[in-house]
Amino acid sequence: MKMEDMSLSGLDNTKLEALAQDIYSDLVEDACLGLCFEVHRAVKQGYFFLDDTDQESMKDFEIVDQPGVDIFGQVYNQWKNKECVCPNCNRSIAASRFAPHLEKCLGMGRNSSRIANRRIASSNNMNNKSESDQEDNDDVNDNDWSYGSEKKAKKRKSDKVFLHSLKQHIPLNPNSPRRSKSVKHKNGELSNSVNADPYKYNYNTGINYETLGPDELRSLLTTQCGVISEHTKKMCTRSQRCPQHTDEQRRAVRVFLLGPSASSLPDADTMVESDCYDASDGQVLMSRLQWDGSSDISPSDSASSKASTNNSDSKKPKKKKKMSLGLNSTGGGGGSGSGGGSSSQTSLVGLSNRKKKPKLPVPPAPSIYDNLN
Amino acid sequence: MSPAGCPHVNGFKVDNWKQNLRVIYQCFVWSGSAETRKRKAKSCICHMCGAHLNRLHSCLSCVFFGCFTKKHIHEHAKNKRHNLAIDLLYGGIYCFVCQDYIYDKDMEQIAKEEQRKAWKLQGRFFPLFSQGQWEKYSTWEPTKRELELLRHNPKRRKITTNCTIGLRGLINLGNTCFMNCIVQALTHTPLLRDFFLSDRHKCEMQSNSCLVCEMSQLFQEFYSGHRSPHIPFRLLHLVWTHARHLAGYEQQDAHEFLIAALDVLHRHCKGDDNGKKANNPNNCNCIIDQIFTGGLQSDVTCQVCHGVSTTIDPFWDISLDLPGSSTPFWPLSPGGDGSTLNGESHLSGATTLTDCLRRFTRPEHLGSSAKIKCSGCHSYQESTKQLTMKKLPIVACFHLKRFEHSAKLRRKIPTYVSFPLELDMTPFMASSKESRMNGQYQQSVDVFNNDNKYSLFAVVNHQGTLESGHYTTFIRQHKDQWFKCDDAVITKASIKDVLDSEGYLLFYHKQFLEYE
Repeated sequence: MKMEDMSLSGLDNTKLEALAQDIYSDLVEDACLGLCFEVHRAVKQGYFFLDDTDQESMKDFEIVDQPGVDIFGQVYNQWKNKECVCPNCNRSIAASRFAPHLEKCLGMGRNSSRIANRRIASSNNMNNKSESDQEDNDDVNDNDWSYGSEKKAKKRKSDKVFLHSLKQHIPLNPNSPRRSKSVKHKNGELSNSVNADPYKYNYNTGINYETLGPDELRSLLTTQCGVISEHTKKMCTRSQRCPQHTDEQRRAVRVFLLGPSASSLPDADTMVESDCYDASDGQVLMSRLQWDGSSDISPSDSASSKASTNNSDSKKPKKKKKMSLGLNSTGGGGGSGSGGGSSSQTSLVGLSNRKKKPKLPVPPAPSIYDNLN
Repeated sequence: MSPAGCPHVNGFKVDNWKQNLRVIYQCFVWSGSAETRKRKAKSCICHMCGAHLNRLHSCLSCVFFGCFTKKHIHEHAKNKRHNLAIDLLYGGIYCFVCQDYIYDKDMEQIAKEEQRKAWKLQGRFFPLFSQGQWEKYSTWEPTKRELELLRHNPKRRKITTNCTIGLRGLINLGNTCFMNCIVQALTHTPLLRDFFLSDRHKCEMQSNSCLVCEMSQLFQEFYSGHRSPHIPFRLLHLVWTHARHLAGYEQQDAHEFLIAALDVLHRHCKGDDNGKKANNPNNCNCIIDQIFTGGLQSDVTCQVCHGVSTTIDPFWDISLDLPGSSTPFWPLSPGGDGSTLNGESHLSGATTLTDCLRRFTRPEHLGSSAKIKCSGCHSYQESTKQLTMKKLPIVACFHLKRFEHSAKLRRKIPTYVSFPLELDMTPFMASSKESRMNGQYQQSVDVFNNDNKYSLFAVVNHQGTLESGHYTTFIRQHKDQWFKCDDAVITKASIKDVLDSEGYLLFYHKQFLEYE
């Protein structure tokens, strides 16, 4: 059939209909052919069956619609033990307490000072093994940090800035050398205050060794300095490396309280002396910490907000113990820390105009996290 | 040589084959202009039977047209030993030795270029900008290497209707349900999801604190297939760092969080808009603006000279007053008794979202105490003000003002507002304003105009009081499949559950998207 010019005017309706029908079916056929080519090409190039998956995988991700379970088939409320690592202070915190922790950690809560005041006033009992109480007493008796309330705010700011420049020290060690360093190297204010006026400090709290049984004493002495103050007859609740007392004093106290056979301070080499950790230290720490009662992972964050003490620093020594027990932080605990930290650092510098640089260099400390991650 | 090619093309690929092939494509396959179309129609007929359909093919080695259906081209191939022919409709190359269509990389490249040239001549539209020029949209094809990898790893995570992928719970970090519910709404915004899953964010921030990167990471977490809830601690930290007014451990307002989050995302998106540095907020083309920003037109009409002064402000959400607050809701129009509007009585039945929108776009008499300086009259006159939608965003977020903070009281307004699954915004557009001047609220819908049709995809609800409460979200994952997100627990929900809920933030998505 040769193509020729046709005039449509001479045709009646049926012919026109037939023509239209022809054209229509041609178009449909062409469209189908196009689809066939697409499929043919996909099969030949090898990507047609790409998105097929096996039955097993499909079953895995099926939605569950039963009462009492969520769409994954999981029971509700089983997520109490989730943890995460604070990008600011690099500590492992229980996820459900992260927000209050972060608030204190970044120093932006309005509750911080109020709660801290309350804590100082009420904390009195060292027998209670709960984290918060130990925390409290430790801090309050800590001559470095316990100021009268008027000094609170100023102190906190400066400590914070200082802390963040030190944040590379991953303070897993309850006896973090940071404390002693800060006393020695911080300019002016702090270090002077340590010796300047002892009567400013709060002597109301403290451990009265006479009221404690031998077991309690023993357990207490494995974590605290314990040297008995001549003024108050109470035991020092600072860490075992507290600079105010010597090892000799500590040894003497232990002998005095527990008898000559009492093992004194643990050997120096099992303690972490520097800022560098490796896995073996972690292991030692962990085994020692197994003893330490409470299973509560996170610092109860209200405890972290001590008035005079800056938040992060006061928390660190004790809380680190707990962290090492549960190092399952989701994604990049060590790595993400610096990122988060740097941003908070800049914001805090904005807060306080004084930026104190520690005299010591700050090495990036490989932490226990790195090894476990 | 790819598995889809064949060795017999080598015989063809000699001398000036590329140019010859181009000519064939230009003249006989892709017709650019009207003349070439005519020429093709007249000259392309089977040399043996005269048919011009029947899957006509052209021999690649000589000038011969033969139809495929009647095997005339096959005969020619056998007789002349010309092994290759080209289909004149779609440009596919057929090899008579392999007896199949083959796909040769070089030849396909030429075909693609010629097709593009022809389309340009035809004045066709290219929506996709890639590798320096505008292309037609083409689906993704794996490279050889990718195919290999995929074949070695046959387990896939295929997203079907009954699939949990894309859904994930969020741990409450301590009164952070306001953040969790917004995150759920955002991760189920289809366009936003597509943007992040196709990795379109190119970060230009130096530090590690880009919220858009974190958002991207969030999508990865949601589509990872993990069942345990995600812990959005990094997100919280970043938001608090960048939006100081939100920081603090206390219960916050989800709506405030939404606006703050969109703002930070918008600020961090700077480098994404095809290289244009968008420091000018009116000129930003980041994904947040493309999806969420609409234009609200405010017309102030002078009562004396009827001159209208118009301003257009960008918006990310529409805050709607509710009946039950201290400002009167009814009547909708000044002076009208409001009892019947176009046949609909408002006194019976619950307030609807449409009612709230009508009130929002009603002409409001500003009163004698708020006279506006009229540029027409050059004096202070009374006026009416009216808000309408100038430009609708792709995702429209409606905020029902349930929290009243007036001087006397602070309370939550629990009035039930019924909202539809599908919403037509046409009556509230600036263009529809003229028909509403008299207070007549027409609901006539032009069925062919799909521009303003929206469908609901997320609902944020608040249970409790002003001081303390809990936020949950309903989200739509697939068409008509809804889920309730209550922090770490995701459960299936029915459409009835969604529509019966109180509603605080309502997210609607445009149904039909058009390229500009």
